[in-house]
Amino acid sequence: MAVSHGRVPPRWMFGHAIVLAAAFLLPGLFVLIRTVGLGGDLVETLGDSLGPLGRTILLSTTVSVSAVVVGTGLAWLLVRTDLPGRRVLRVLVVLPLVLPSFVGAAAFLAAVAPGGPVHSVLGVIGVVPPRLSGLLPSWQILTLFTYPYVFLPVAARLLAIPPSLEESARLLGRTGRQAFFEVTLPQLRSAILSGGLLVFLYTVSEFGAVQLLRYDTLTRVIYSSRLSDRPTSFASASILILLAVIVVLVERNVRGSARVNERSERFTPASQPLGRWRAAAFGAVGVVILFGVAVPVSSLTVWAWRGIVGGRVNFSRLVMPAINTAFVGTLTAAVAVAVIVPLAVLVVRYRLRSSSAISAVVIAGFAVPGLVIALSLVSFAVNTPGVGWIYQTLPLLIVAYVIHFGAQAMGAAEDAVRAVPDKLRESSQLLESSALVRARRVDAPLMRPSLLSGGGLVLLSTIKELPATLLLAPIGFRTLATEVWGSYEDGRFAQVGVGGLVLISLSAVLTWFLVLKRSEAVVAA
Amino acid sequence: MQLRKASALLIPMALLAAACGGDAETADGGGPVVVYSGRSEELIQPILDDFEAETGIEVSAPRYGGSDELALLLDEEGGSTPADVFISQSPGAVGFLEEQGVLAELPDNVLALVDEAVRDDDKRWVGISGRQRVLVYNTDQVEPTELPSSIFDLTDPQWKGRIGIAPGNGSFQDFVSLMRTQVGDDVVAEWLDGLVANDVQTYAKNSAIVAAVGRGEVDAGLVNHYYNYRAIDEDPNHKGLNHQLAVDDPGSVLIVTGAAILSESDNKTNAEKLVEYLLGESAQRYFADETFEYPLANGVEPSRDIPAAPFAEVGTVDFGDLGDSLASTRELIESAGLEG
Repeated sequence: MAVSHGRVPPRWMFGHAIVLAAAFLLPGLFVLIRTVGLGGDLVETLGDSLGPLGRTILLSTTVSVSAVVVGTGLAWLLVRTDLPGRRVLRVLVVLPLVLPSFVGAAAFLAAVAPGGPVHSVLGVIGVVPPRLSGLLPSWQILTLFTYPYVFLPVAARLLAIPPSLEESARLLGRTGRQAFFEVTLPQLRSAILSGGLLVFLYTVSEFGAVQLLRYDTLTRVIYSSRLSDRPTSFASASILILLAVIVVLVERNVRGSARVNERSERFTPASQPLGRWRAAAFGAVGVVILFGVAVPVSSLTVWAWRGIVGGRVNFSRLVMPAINTAFVGTLTAAVAVAVIVPLAVLVVRYRLRSSSAISAVVIAGFAVPGLVIALSLVSFAVNTPGVGWIYQTLPLLIVAYVIHFGAQAMGAAEDAVRAVPDKLRESSQLLESSALVRARRVDAPLMRPSLLSGGGLVLLSTIKELPATLLLAPIGFRTLATEVWGSYEDGRFAQVGVGGLVLISLSAVLTWFLVLKRSEAVVAA
Repeated sequence: MQLRKASALLIPMALLAAACGGDAETADGGGPVVVYSGRSEELIQPILDDFEAETGIEVSAPRYGGSDELALLLDEEGGSTPADVFISQSPGAVGFLEEQGVLAELPDNVLALVDEAVRDDDKRWVGISGRQRVLVYNTDQVEPTELPSSIFDLTDPQWKGRIGIAPGNGSFQDFVSLMRTQVGDDVVAEWLDGLVANDVQTYAKNSAIVAAVGRGEVDAGLVNHYYNYRAIDEDPNHKGLNHQLAVDDPGSVLIVTGAAILSESDNKTNAEKLVEYLLGESAQRYFADETFEYPLANGVEPSRDIPAAPFAEVGTVDFGDLGDSLASTRELIESAGLEG
């Protein structure tokens, strides 16, 4: 094994990495074993599902590209400029992530359809929106739901790299735009690539929205054959996982090993004055929030209002699910960050090839549909001697969440480790012998923005997770997502509206207090 | 890490949550009955509460989920399942479990409560309520006089581009499976091709069709009957109305929701009592009055404007075939160019 800096990582890190690898490989192994066991034919299934596979790749690629553009643009505008109201906007732009996609898509469809708020508004100016179906609306809506995967890590990175770099570039005669593209953008490269990769993998595994928008992708094959033709279902899942692995490897290659000078220090961010672009920038942010937040929220509000007027809304039954959701989301985020950081240290600081492979597995895991992860854990828990006690307990549910969403902490954790320059570490080792004190005084402040953004993503994803929650949660453990799903399945839209609004509000509050406020505290320090 | 501090504050609340959640589970045979339910809480919990109150037999909080997902879960759990009773929204999911050999035989006195058309020939599950297939239509865009009497009329040019279906949805697939047993695969394939040629609009599920019909996006759609009642309850201005096709038309079949007992259950006596209770008069009345479904036992009549149960007329259909014929049904649907 190639070890850089002539140092060997602590032994516990190896053990930890092996356990992580085993856990994250579990769903893939499960799918493989089932595919073979049920007599699934990969080649035949691949031949039969070329169309859906092609559409999955097309949709995932286009969504990643647009999400990268939107997410990066918003991050720069809301972190590096003097845009008015940017602190509030920073919370608002994260919110499209928090609606379960079936709710988000249904709310969007209802808003644009006849009788919906958007349709009514457009009707005034004589525009009739068409029925949303197929690639174009799927691309647009998924872009709106996924750009926060790019926004959060890029914004965190922008908070950690000194604007002095950009300023010196401008002193050297570069225009603002040149300085951004030549100096700042390279610094954001790894955050953008890891965010874009998350968007790609999310879209690969996405089912709720594409199902409602009638765009026929590989997940449709997996779901529609899950009972009737299991060999095909599992073979399709194998193909999906293979695709995820290939894309992760490609991203690793593109990112390369060359590291930019990711120097970080404490600083006060200078905001770039937008001048005459201010109105345009405000408008651009406004459009994203309008479509990503206001449109779905308008539908939820209409549904909720009808129910409140008709007295059909039950608020009290949402209290326990809201508490459960906040608790399990926060705990999962903390656990995910805690278990992923040591791996990131191995990858970034010691540059171990094996650890890099494990981190690829962690990231590819994000593309595995939640239903598959849940079933693999069921199979593991009931068939492995000695672990049966964990079945249908909260710890197993959290394991499922961490396997599903660990990828979102991975890129952020690597960024966080990179944010502590080797030189700074070396000098601090001379000055302070206690590793704990060093971690708290030196590493933590520099790592915090990225770790919080990674933890924030895990938090928001966990909050809306549905399939694994339904199958693995302790009996009687209800979350907001399961509540909203139940109401949706029954066609009780009033309750869906109220539940969805509570979900969004809770996410906004948690994002603010646990993620954004703490990231800003770094800046203010 | 700061996240930990915050979560520390939340832990006591969650412990409270766990305590209130009640995951009571005892090892001995006479403990609470564990139910996995594809029917949502709203559609089943009140009956379970009544059962507890009347019999004194405890029922633990059910695990709710999609019927298909719960069937997959039960299959993975195999012999380790804590579940005693499975309540399914569709015959497909119980059929799948029957095929996997994880369902116990139900006692004859329970099976005898329903017509033989709505129970499994091998005694592994029993229908507890029915949903009828209907054509829901928009009252602004469809004249009552032009309403068809058969699903075969929907391939006429008159309905071009005006009909919505949910080919990927379990209830549509159950309906096509039943249709195959009635008219044969060739006729079904021809009908599906005709629909596609007639520019049929596809949706994700029944509720999406009812919503689309209500707002006039499509003029009419093939759905289960009760979705429209829910839609009217949610929005009094909803423009959808159910139209029942001829009683002997394949488009009028009754699709049953089923109950089954797991062969690994260590609480079979109480589980059987629960299934029997689901077919009792008060539960059947609940299905009729509260969830707008067709009651299947004890002579309970359907409520509202729902016509009397038509399953006597189509009683030759063997619902037991549904589970294992789902694969070929899906193939039929997909070969018509629809996304199964």
